[in-house]
This record gives sequence, C-alpha cells and structure tokens, in this order.
Amino acid sequence: MMINDKNSQKIVDIIQNYARKHSLWILAYGTGCGAIEIPPTMTSRYDAERLGVRGAATPRQADVLLITGYLTTKTLKRVIRVYEQMQDPKYVIGFGSCTINGGMYWDSYNTIKALDRYLPVDVFINGCMPRPEAVLAGFAKLQELIQAGKADGARKYKENLEWYRANQKKVIPNWRMPEYNW
Amino acid sequence: MNMIYIVFIVLLGGALLTFFANRISGLLRDTFFLLTILATTVLFFTKIHIGDTVSFTLAGLNLKWGLDAFGWYFSLIVLGLGTMAAFYALSYMKGKDRLGYFYFSFLISILSMLGILMSHDLVSFFIFWEVMTWSSYLIVIYSGRNVQKNGINYILLSALGAYAMLTAIVMVYANIHTLSISEMINTYPQFSHVQQVWLPVLFLMAFSVKAAMMPLHVWAPGAYSDAPMAYTSVFSGALSKMGIYGMVIVFVSMISYLPDDTLFKETFAWLGAITAILGTLWAIAQDDARKLLAYSSIAQLGYIITGVAVGTDLAMLSALFLAALHALFKGTLFMAVGAIERQTGTVKFTEVTGLIRKMPWTFIASLLAIIALAGIPPLGGFVGKWMLYESLINSNHYILVIAIFFASTAAFLYCYKFLFGFFLGQEEKEWENVKEAPALMVLPMLILAAGTLVLGTFPGILLKPADAAMQTLGYASTEGHLWSMSILFNEWGDQVLLRPLVYAIAGTFLFFLIILTVKGWKNTRYVSTKDISSSGEVPLEYENLTFSVNFYQPFLRAVGPVMKKRMIYYYREFGSGMEALFDYSRRIYNGNGQTYAIYVMIFLVIILLFKNSIFG
Amino acid sequence: MQEILQYTWGALVSFVVAFTVGITYMGLNRKITARVQNRIGPPWYQNFFDVLKLGSKETSIHHGVMQHMGPAFIMVTAVMSLLIIPILNDNRFFPNLNFHGDLVFLLYIMVFGPLGMALGAGQTGNPNSAIGVTRGLSQMVGFEIPWVMALVALMIQYKTTSIVDLMNLQAETGRWLMFTSPFAFLAAVLAMLGMFRYAPFDIVGAPQELASGPMSENGGKYLFVMMSAGSVFAFAKLTLYVDLFMGGANNLIILVVKTFILYLIPMLYGIVSPRYRTEQAIRYFWGWPSLFGLLAILQAVFL
Repeated sequence: MMINDKNSQKIVDIIQNYARKHSLWILAYGTGCGAIEIPPTMTSRYDAERLGVRGAATPRQADVLLITGYLTTKTLKRVIRVYEQMQDPKYVIGFGSCTINGGMYWDSYNTIKALDRYLPVDVFINGCMPRPEAVLAGFAKLQELIQAGKADGARKYKENLEWYRANQKKVIPNWRMPEYNW
Repeated sequence: MNMIYIVFIVLLGGALLTFFANRISGLLRDTFFLLTILATTVLFFTKIHIGDTVSFTLAGLNLKWGLDAFGWYFSLIVLGLGTMAAFYALSYMKGKDRLGYFYFSFLISILSMLGILMSHDLVSFFIFWEVMTWSSYLIVIYSGRNVQKNGINYILLSALGAYAMLTAIVMVYANIHTLSISEMINTYPQFSHVQQVWLPVLFLMAFSVKAAMMPLHVWAPGAYSDAPMAYTSVFSGALSKMGIYGMVIVFVSMISYLPDDTLFKETFAWLGAITAILGTLWAIAQDDARKLLAYSSIAQLGYIITGVAVGTDLAMLSALFLAALHALFKGTLFMAVGAIERQTGTVKFTEVTGLIRKMPWTFIASLLAIIALAGIPPLGGFVGKWMLYESLINSNHYILVIAIFFASTAAFLYCYKFLFGFFLGQEEKEWENVKEAPALMVLPMLILAAGTLVLGTFPGILLKPADAAMQTLGYASTEGHLWSMSILFNEWGDQVLLRPLVYAIAGTFLFFLIILTVKGWKNTRYVSTKDISSSGEVPLEYENLTFSVNFYQPFLRAVGPVMKKRMIYYYREFGSGMEALFDYSRRIYNGNGQTYAIYVMIFLVIILLFKNSIFG
Repeated sequence: MQEILQYTWGALVSFVVAFTVGITYMGLNRKITARVQNRIGPPWYQNFFDVLKLGSKETSIHHGVMQHMGPAFIMVTAVMSLLIIPILNDNRFFPNLNFHGDLVFLLYIMVFGPLGMALGAGQTGNPNSAIGVTRGLSQMVGFEIPWVMALVALMIQYKTTSIVDLMNLQAETGRWLMFTSPFAFLAAVLAMLGMFRYAPFDIVGAPQELASGPMSENGGKYLFVMMSAGSVFAFAKLTLYVDLFMGGANNLIILVVKTFILYLIPMLYGIVSPRYRTEQAIRYFWGWPSLFGLLAILQAVFL
C-alpha cells in the first residue's frame, strides 16, 4: 500500500484483518489421529465453512496450517518445509495435547514434544483428541487474534529464525533443505 | 542480357563457386554462399519486375521464363525464408562436414524453386521440379541417418508424382503440340472429357506429393526431421508451397472448367481437412520435436489445401495468406528446434526441459510463432484462420468448418507440448550450462517471428500482393468487394477497428501486470523450480519431476480408434502384396526343361485356337 | 478524446459489474452447494472476503516470468471478452468494442487466456500443474466441438457472425433463439458444463487428486488476480449465452436474473455429479452434445 499515513493505515489494517479473519483456508497436515476430526468439522454436522474455513489444496494457497496431533521428527521436516512455502500472513494451529507437551507420546524417542519450539504456533487446541466443537472454538480464537492483529506468528518466526532453526536442526539429523530466502 | 538470366546465372555460379571454394577455405565458402543468396534476393526484388519475360529455343523447344504477380508472391516466400535460413545455416552448420555439398544443394534448391515460379512452359517446369526434388533429396540424406527408410520414401513418392506429371505433359503435347502453360490453359476447355478429368488428376498427384497431402504424405515426417534444421525450415516453409502453387493453378485454370468440378473441389477440400485432422492428432502423439513439427506442417498445409480447393475469393485469399504465414512461423519453429538441437544435442521433449532462462530469445521467437500457429489474436495466424472460416461458412461448407475448427483447436495441444517440453518445466542440472544460441541463429528466428506479429496487426501488407496475385489468376480484384464481404478485411486490413482492440489488449495486460508487481519485486520473489509444493518433500538435485512422458495420454486414449492404423501401413501392405505376387509369378521359371516344353505347347495351342481372331 | 474517455469509463463500469456479479455467483454457488449437502454454508458474500484476503497477502512467489504473467493473460482474456460481448440490448451505458464477425474472434480470444495461464503453470515445474494443463486442454478440445457447432448453426441460420445482429434479431421478432434453434441451445448449454469446469468436468483442478492442478503454485496476489479473472470471465460467458439465446437484457436486473438462471444449470448439474476422467469427458462431449450440434446445423440448413 502506498498510504503512509498512520491512521489510514490503521483503517486498511482493520479491513484487511476483517477479510483475513473471515477467510481461513486451512492446510490440514494430517499427522496423528487428529486428522480424523477434520472431516466432521468440515461436513454437515459442524460445518466449519460457515466461519469461512475452507480447505486449500497446496501450501501456496493456504493461510492456516493445522498440525493435527503428534509429530515425528521425520514428519517435522516436511511440516517445516510446508510452513515455509506458505505465504504471509500465515497461522499455525496446534491440535491436541501432543503438540502442546507431547501428550501420550511424552517419552517417545522419535516425536517432538512442544511444537512451538520449532514453529510459531498461534493457537493451541487441547484435548486428546479435541472434539469438533473444540476445533471450532480454536478457529474462533484465531479469528479473534487476527482481528486484534495479534496473530503474528509468521513475524515471530522471521525474527527468531536462528533460534527456530537451531531447534529444528537439533532434532532433524539429516538436514537437507534449500536455504530459506525470505 | 536479361535480368532473369542473370539471377539464374548468379545462383548457379554461386552454387558451383561455393562447392569448389569448400576445397580452399571455409571462410571463402561461407562468403560465397551468403553473397550468392543476398545478391539473388537483391537482384530479384530490384531488377526483375512483374511482367518480365524471356524466351529462347533449346533443342527445338520453345522455352519461356517470366514473372507474374502470382509467382512473385510465392518467390517472396522462397527468397525471404531462404535468406533467413541461409544466415541461420552459416551458424547452424558450423563444424559439420561436407558443407560444400550442403550449401550447393541448398542454393540449387532455391534456384529450382525460383525456376518453377518463373517457368512459363511445361518442359522447364518439369525440369526445375525434378531439380527441386533431387536437390532436396540430397539434403535429406545428408545426415546419413535412415537413408534406407526416409530417403527412399521421399524419392519414391516424388518419383511417383514426377511420372504423373510427365504423363500429363505428354498428354498435353500429344493434343496441342505445344508446351506453353498458357496455351495449355487456353485450350483446356476444348480437350475431350476424359482428358479434361485425367489432366488435373495427374497434375494434382504430383503437387499433392510435395504439399504432403493425405494419403501421399508418408514421406514428410521422416524427410523433414532428417534434413538439417537449417534446410527443413525452407523445406517445410517454402518447398512444400510449390505444391500449393501448382495446385492453385490447376484448380483455377482447369478444374473450374470441368462440368463436375464441385465433386473435385469437395474431394480435395475434404482431403485437406482430413490431412489437417490426422496431421494434428499425430503431431500430438510425437515426442520428437522435429517429428511434431513435421506432422504439424502436414496439418497446416491441409488447411491451405482446403482453402485452395474451396476456391472462393476469400478462401483463396486466406490460403495464400496462410501459405506465407506458415512459412514465417514454421520456419521459426524449425529454426528454434535446430538451435536447441545444437545447444543441447537432443530434440526429445522427454529429455530436455526448462530452457526458458537459458535460451530466452529462442523462447520468445518460438512463443510468437506458436501463437501465430495456434491462430490466436492478435497475431497473424488469426487473420488467416478467420478468413478461412468465414469463406467456408459463406460457401456452405458447414461440416468442413467444424472439421477445420477441430484440427485447429487440437493444435493447441501440440503447441503447448512444444513450449512446455523444451522451455518450461523443472530446470535440470544436466542442462545447467546450456547457453543461448549464437546471434546469427537467433536473429533470423526473431525477424521471422516479428513478421507474424506485424502481419497480425497489419495484414494489409501481405493481402495486397496476395490480391495482385489472385488478379493474375483471373479473380476479380478482391479489394473492392471483399470489403463488404468480409468485415475483417475492412476493419483489420484498413486499421479502423483493430487499433482500439490492440490497445485494449495491451492496456489491460500491462495494468494487471503492474497490479501483480505493484509492491515491487521485493514481495513477489523468485524461487527455483525445485521449490515446489510437493507434500513437503524437497526434490533432490538429480530428481526431475517434470511431467513429459505420455503427455497427452488421456486425449490420445479418447481419439485412439482414429489413430490405430497409419497410412504407411497400407503402403507396406501393398508393397508386400506386390512382392508376394511377383514371388508367385517367378515360379514360372522353375528351370525344368519339360515345363518349358509344356509352355511352348500351350502357347502353340492357344495360337491355333485363336488364330482366326488374332490373324484375322 | 471524449470517445476514449467514454470507452474507458464503460470498460471500467462493466468490469466492476462483472466482478461483483461474478464473485456473488461464486459465493451463491458455495451457499447452494452447502444447502444441498444439508449444511448452513458460508454467507453469499464469502467470496468477497476470500478475494480481499488473497489481495492483501503480503508475499507471493513465482517461478519465472511466464508464471508472473500468467494471471495477467487470463485477466486480459476476461476483460477482452467482456468488452466484446454486449452487456445490454441498448448498449448506451456500456459502450464496448463489439464489431461484426466478433463471434469467431471470441472463440479464439477465449482460449488465449487459458493458454497463457497454461504456460505460467508449466513454468512452475510442479508436475501437478502440467498434468492439470494437459487435462484442461484435452477437455477444451472436447467441449469446443459442440460449442462451435452451435455457433456455426446460429451463423448459418441467421446469416451473421455478429452478436449484436443476433440480439437485434431477437428484439425485432420477440422470439428467443433458444426456442427458434433449440438444438443449438442444447449443444451450447452442454458445452457450457465443460466451460465452467464444475463437476463432472472438474478433473482439471481436482484439489484432492492434483492439488488444484494448474493453480497449485499460485498463491497470494496471483491467485487473487486469477480468482477475479475467473469470476469476470464467468459473468462474461453467461452474458454471451443470454445475448445469444435468451434475447439479451434491457437492464441490469433482468440480466442478473437471466444469467443466474443459466448459471444454475452447470451448478446444479455439478452438485449431484461425480467426476469424469478426461477421456470420458471428451467422449461425453463428442457424444450427445455434438449430436445436438449436428442436429442444429441440419435444422439451420434445411429449415
């Protein structure tokens, strides 16, 4: 935008955030058992589409990355790749206890315990597994954050890239990724 | 001395000089080659005027050469494309052996084409026709690949055509005892009906071979793809047009006088349409760029044949326009394939991908040529296609227009395959060091491609000489009444309505391009083709994800039944059938004396039995 | 100067109208689909949010010049067809560039954009894009045949290649062409099913199978331009159908009603349909729709 005035920028932000809030295209990265909660959320029973939530086909088109459950280190690499391919502004929703503290995999050797050490998570939905109502509540929370302009995980990721990278590289043994060039 | 002689002498002398200069030094040879073609072009377009004629007597035959507007129009194609291809050839053929031989054949084939266009009598026409066949044959077998297969296909079918033409010429001479073409045309209405039918059939057979019309096209894919690309652009762009040149004359001056001319015209129009459809379908199935373009040439000539055969003013005008345009874009495309072949060493879509950033100029030239080929406005191809459709609808060929439209829509498939296969797709490590072709190769391509662009915006440039050419053939001046007949001639040739259209296209395009880039290149950043969304997986350096094998499989499955049998199959069947027949008849000579005695007996018996009817 | 200003103004207004109506139709499509599936569905203005959001994305990536230009190509096509297709019968408010013989021109200009976009999709290097493009082009060859047959039938029957002439003819006689040449209408409508690429002909950009095919590498602003172009283009096509077969429209409200009724056909057909494979789709178009096209031509020639 060419408008530099602070107040008009604020108005533009409000409009843009309103649009972003009502149009969440999700990329459901179906890891773990949480993936099974997505279909009931999207279909007739709970119908997330009335909130503007809609599936996206590729990371390029998506706004929200859903991590639905535990992440093995092997999957984490792919998830990072997918996250980095998404376009700003982008949000991450961690799904279930596994993404918060490891859940029932708390002592597993090949899953990560806390997702927000590797990716900037905007909203966590707890539960094992969270029911569709909880998922909808999570989307509502994300919408609130977006409207308030507080869902800035992508910015955090950009700023603390080194810290995130160090954490990622610590758990992923064969790190072979194209250099991240924002 | 007359300028016509001088042009021929320059070409012939230049060809010989080039051939012998090869023994001395390469530079000398190249200089002679280029000077010859340039001198010819300059002399031809400055010194020879429409209406010039010379005549002389050779071995008791009156030979007459001259130039009319119709020949001039085609010589525009021959010399224009020939000059560009000559420049291209210098760079393309660098480092290959037997160059004297190649350049000699090249110049001789240009000479023969000019000769055909200037011949006013049948003998020189036939001789030049044969020289054209042989010189192009020499280049087809130049590479030494598949001489047995493709070379023999080409020479056999050409010989078939030549014999047909020779028969026709003998027929004419036996009738009117003169070999002048105009005499033949003038006296044609007085021929007996059988001759009136056979004469055009025999001539058209000869011309259809060169124009690669179904079912006489079988030589074309092999011959086009085996000749060096520098020559193939002339081969497909100009040499095949000689067939069209002859066809136009036959259709206008002979078939129009036939009482059952509609049957002829419909048959040929449909043959043209079938050629277009099958050529397009086979082009879609090819993985070799040269073969793809060869089949595409066959298909494009199919449109032109349809236009010629329908024969209304607009149809003829569109055929002539498309003929020149085909030379422009197919010349460009064959040159582009040559450039890619030279830079990468392969012409298979399945092998080479992602050249767009390495060979941008070649890409731009091919893109323009492809848009013209597909007939998409605002490039020249559209004008020609539009005229063709409109003429077909106006002359009540409704199913034909659907057939032609099908062929030209299906042509999008191979157009995309060509661009995608070479230039788009993932950039591979294998082709990392490919460089753009030398300027001498790129410039002719760009010039020809720019030609299609100019003709799309100002078709009047070409329509005027085409109109003059058609007046030579006896058509009324199309300029006047076509203005009311086809709005497009008015609006596009005259630049009334085109301008807002072109401006609107350019304006919207730029506007949205600016929208896309308005936040600067900072936020729309370039990523390599390895950075694609493939389920989070990172393709490795050597992993090539480009989709190029079985490219149009679903489409080919849908049209599969049409493509089950190829024409060459029937020729082979015919060939093996004849072989079996001859093999059987060979058994007569079984080497047994008693059998021969029986033959003698039978012969005598027959003579005795029929002696009354035989000796009367 | 006056003329140019008028042209620009008309183009701008018709663009805005087409954009709004097109986007609304897409939203209504989602709403109606949801209702058929016993869901509440998004509000009808949902697609405005989507477009606005895509437009306000902060970053976007491209794999080269062709991909960068691809959406602009498809936008040019949409705007060009909008400029050539007369929007209202009395075209004073939307002065546009229609001219005699524009039907053939439209046929070609309408494939210009998809081809440009196909080049853009090709450059991404994503195999899904290329697969989607080959399917799309193959399907296009399929549905163009009945579509051209229908148009040729109209050209023969009414001896004109101009849309305006056909509209005037309908205004004079007061009879819509969909009744006077019903077979052409049938063929054209069946071809429209393929043009809109809703089910059962949505294998081109099948999200589950091809990751949305040709668009799979386009995000942010590229997708924004493509989505708006798609809606403008949809409106332009519907208007063309209304102009050709349903007597055009005298004002915008009638136009919207007529186009929406027409739009219901591919939409409702799509909601209840599964998906065809490409060769099945092609054979479908060369079956009944082409037969209707042939009947239309026969009718035009003999009646």
